[in-house]
Amino acid sequence: MTLSHLATEDVFVVERNDADFRAGQGMTKGLGIVFRKFRKALFGKPNSDRADTEGQFNVQYPEERLAMPEAYRNMPILLYDDATGHELCTSCFQCERICPPQVIHITQAKDPATGKPVPAAAKFVLEYDTCMSCGYCAEVCPFDAIKMDHDFELSTANHPELDVDYNRLLRPVSYYETIAPTMWSDVKEQAMKKLQNNIKRRPGDIGRDHGQKIKGGAPVAAAATPAAGAAPAAAAKPRGPVAAIGKNMPEDKTAKLLAIRAANAAKRGGGAADAAPVAQAAPVVEAVADAPAAVSAAPTGPVAAIGQNMSEDKRAKLEAIRAAKRAERGE
Amino acid sequence: MLKTEELQINIGPQHPSTHGVFRMLVTVDGETLVDLKPVFGYLHRNHEQLGEVNTYLQNMPFTDRLDYFNSMVNNHAYARTIETLAGVEVPERAQYIRVIMDELSRILNHATAMGFMLGDMGAWQTALLWGMREREKILDMFEYVSGARMMCNYCRFGGVVRDIDDWFITELKKLMQGLPHYFDDFEGLLLNSEILLARARNIGVLPKELALAYSVTGPVLRGSGVAYDIRKAEPYAVYDRFKFKVPVGTVGDVYDRFLVRIAEMRESYKILEQALEQLPDATGGFINPKVKQQSLKAPAGEAYARVESPKGELGFYVVSDGSGSAYRYKVRAPSFINLSALADMCKGYTIADVVVILGSIDIVMGEVDR
Amino acid sequence: MADALTQLGFASWLSVLIASIIKVTLILVGGSVGMMFLTWYERRSISYMQDRRGPNRVGPQGLLQPISEAIKTMTKEDATPRDADKIVHFLAPVVMLGATVLSFAVIPWGRMFPVDLNAAVLFVIATGGLHSIGMMMAGWGSNNKFALLGGMRGVAQLISYEIPQVMAIIPVVLMTGSMSLQKIVEAQNDFAGLGWYVFSPVGLLGFALFFTASLAEGERTPFDIPEADSEIIAGYMTEYSGMKFAVFYLSNYMSNLAVCFITATLYLGGGNGPGVDALGGIAGGLLSLIYFLLKSFALFFVMVLIRATVPRLRVDQLMSFAWKFLLPLVLVNILSASFWVALLRWDQQWPKLTEWFGAPSTADATNWGRLAIAIVLTLLINAGAVALIMRLTNRNVQKHLYTTDEELALGLS
Repeated sequence: MTLSHLATEDVFVVERNDADFRAGQGMTKGLGIVFRKFRKALFGKPNSDRADTEGQFNVQYPEERLAMPEAYRNMPILLYDDATGHELCTSCFQCERICPPQVIHITQAKDPATGKPVPAAAKFVLEYDTCMSCGYCAEVCPFDAIKMDHDFELSTANHPELDVDYNRLLRPVSYYETIAPTMWSDVKEQAMKKLQNNIKRRPGDIGRDHGQKIKGGAPVAAAATPAAGAAPAAAAKPRGPVAAIGKNMPEDKTAKLLAIRAANAAKRGGGAADAAPVAQAAPVVEAVADAPAAVSAAPTGPVAAIGQNMSEDKRAKLEAIRAAKRAERGE
Repeated sequence: MLKTEELQINIGPQHPSTHGVFRMLVTVDGETLVDLKPVFGYLHRNHEQLGEVNTYLQNMPFTDRLDYFNSMVNNHAYARTIETLAGVEVPERAQYIRVIMDELSRILNHATAMGFMLGDMGAWQTALLWGMREREKILDMFEYVSGARMMCNYCRFGGVVRDIDDWFITELKKLMQGLPHYFDDFEGLLLNSEILLARARNIGVLPKELALAYSVTGPVLRGSGVAYDIRKAEPYAVYDRFKFKVPVGTVGDVYDRFLVRIAEMRESYKILEQALEQLPDATGGFINPKVKQQSLKAPAGEAYARVESPKGELGFYVVSDGSGSAYRYKVRAPSFINLSALADMCKGYTIADVVVILGSIDIVMGEVDR
Repeated sequence: MADALTQLGFASWLSVLIASIIKVTLILVGGSVGMMFLTWYERRSISYMQDRRGPNRVGPQGLLQPISEAIKTMTKEDATPRDADKIVHFLAPVVMLGATVLSFAVIPWGRMFPVDLNAAVLFVIATGGLHSIGMMMAGWGSNNKFALLGGMRGVAQLISYEIPQVMAIIPVVLMTGSMSLQKIVEAQNDFAGLGWYVFSPVGLLGFALFFTASLAEGERTPFDIPEADSEIIAGYMTEYSGMKFAVFYLSNYMSNLAVCFITATLYLGGGNGPGVDALGGIAGGLLSLIYFLLKSFALFFVMVLIRATVPRLRVDQLMSFAWKFLLPLVLVNILSASFWVALLRWDQQWPKLTEWFGAPSTADATNWGRLAIAIVLTLLINAGAVALIMRLTNRNVQKHLYTTDEELALGLS
């Protein structure tokens, strides 16, 4: 019964003071301390610093509120871009897969014309009542579309209301920027890049037809492309396959893939570019061009988003493919 | 011979001092307890089965819900188990961060646990609320680093989810300025109070042999005079780099457990001081970047890792069949095992003592029922 | 008051009736408002002790909180357990409140006396004793095990603590020579209104003992065992809700208020204080009322302070405290009170005393020699007794305070 691996210098016996003469001195000391606390709380300043142990420490909640730390996570929300109204979510299902209580339910949007999936969510339902606020969805989201909100005053008498749908989940990016400025600035650039890339693959209003956002045109795209006619038309234009080159692919592989895709497109013919394989490969897409360039170049053709960092021979190859495709379409 | 009738009373599951939905079926003769039968399972929520269905990462937030006072410690224990299983390296900074969080958890747990015990004893809520004040300060800091106050979900395999920054360290230093005052006030309030002595001395005695036979751990075991602390016995993380002592009691009564907990808070304070001093800079990173958190697959095998949770030895046992989720998952919850000694600790004392003894074991039903 | 009404032309029976009704109303309103203030006062001050703020929303500084809570409890459902003894269950709070309100009849508000009974002290104790009946009724009538335990604990506690409480008053009665509260207050008016009994060794010990015993009578921490919420939920009040619970609550706090009033009257000179006599008339009366309330609420603050600090005792410890600690000290205090009275008032039977120290004091001429020797003697007796009892108690504590296995086996065989 010896636990000898603890050295004696590591152990000490607590002092019980069993033999002390007790005449109420312990109780008197306690009363004194409590009275001191009373005095300090009544006449002293409120407890504000973490080093304080005296003075009132409670916060008068509805009037006074503690500042929420940026990392605070309550319930997940979805973001949309203020400028274009486009939602950041591409329905990649990463969050649905990781969610420990499995409360996220996503339906992918489909192009009404072709029936092919589009990188946007048609429906997004989150059961707030079962959500455990673990924050995994926000952690895994490759598009920074789902974030943890700071609003905790969600109580309601109406239980079904807690199955929150897409419309009520959406918040503008600017809102998230106010509640978590540094966390957003860390990811802002890549998130916006990815968004611009996705916008190109969303026909019509898909991807921005939820919530109370301003509708009827994507402001940025419209402003940047006066020559291209109606903005919706520009947005509706099918996007070329080259927009969705995976960022992790080695460059020669990319070129090869592009060639194959172009060939396929040529085989099928028609104006409808095959967005399908692209969309399925979507989870890790990243626009190779920077966002403004992509936007301004968009109306000139579906293939505008070619990265500037590609080597010259590849660029030449691509140009050849594009030419072939244009010929196919009869442009 | 005069014979009195025995009375059977249900203390709990709805009772002011059962610390959750715990039921004690007690048989009393007048006020004296003749028999006690603990009944639990009201909070059972299939934790271990869920752990076998979920992936390794998905199970992490569920461990928060075991002992919801010390989710940081639970995370640490679970992460350690999976790291052992999958052979994951943990950066040194992450180890230190984990130790800091563990020791902060220990302080807040003991502060509130002692407060609750004194509340059971009838000392209204003064000690409890002073403890709550310190706990709030610590929870604010947890919220800052992890995003949640209680359900921290902070550890990841091979590190922690977010690094601690200057703000955290400044605030921790401020907090540590205040803590000794709190310890002094708390001790002065009740440590030598005559009524506390009368209520706590020689009450709920758990002899050393019985404690070992029940495989009781934590402050309850140390109160019974066995110097056993996993931080010393099997130093995990970076505990072997700190100088601290293990307090032990002599009698094994409520008072000894009380004293041991207060002494442990002071020792935790020492560890925090040293950890802050030794904390390596951020160059080493706070998480092992090679680990695929979401799709972690452990090789087939088994692992058991344990940490010294504030309540005792918290261990996770995981058997892997090589897939992404555990084949078998078992939690060794200290509260549950410590609670099994309750009946033997209570017999012969009065109803008033029973609630105090229960409070001195410091149980959390989330961990007992799982 | 009745005389004044008769002079106004009312029939004598009518004037007595009207005067009584007015007095009863005043007592009831004063008691209830006092109780409401007391709950707010307790909650606010205990909050500050615990570093928080307490009720501060309803009304200025939360002063109207008790009213909102009264409305809340009155509108709540009044549930009676199915198997309860309905009549007893209903009557228990009534008995409790009735007993408390009765004791308010003799409490002097400063220098105003609703009723000046010549055995007021006895009356207060007697009405206090009625509480145990109410408790037992509640505990038994609820048909609940926790309530029964609470009721039993309560009765045992009240009966045990009545003895030291009554005996702690005896020194005061001896020193005054009367059981009338008015006389007791008047007797403490020496030394410019500061001749309170608490400043004498006998009175000091008596005050401590009486106040401690009163804490037990009023079920205050550390003696709140009949309603120990962590052990037996709410004791005898477990099955009460709504209005009936409110009545229990009211009675509890009113009896606490009464305890503070009576302690202030018996030992702290009631409404006496510097300046009262000098002012005289209505102004003096008001000043005495202010003194009286200040003293009472200071006492209540001590109760709150104790509540915020110490844990509660166990039943057996409570009993041994009453019988082994309070009772011997109270008896010794009676002895020293007798010496006190003998030294200050006695001259015929012991002429030597007069020869040495002069005649015993009257109201205006104090015999300092006799007073000094009385103080020294009683101080010695009391201090010696306290030291002795403490030593004995310490020895007991160090031996055993809990039931051993052998004792348990004996008790169960």
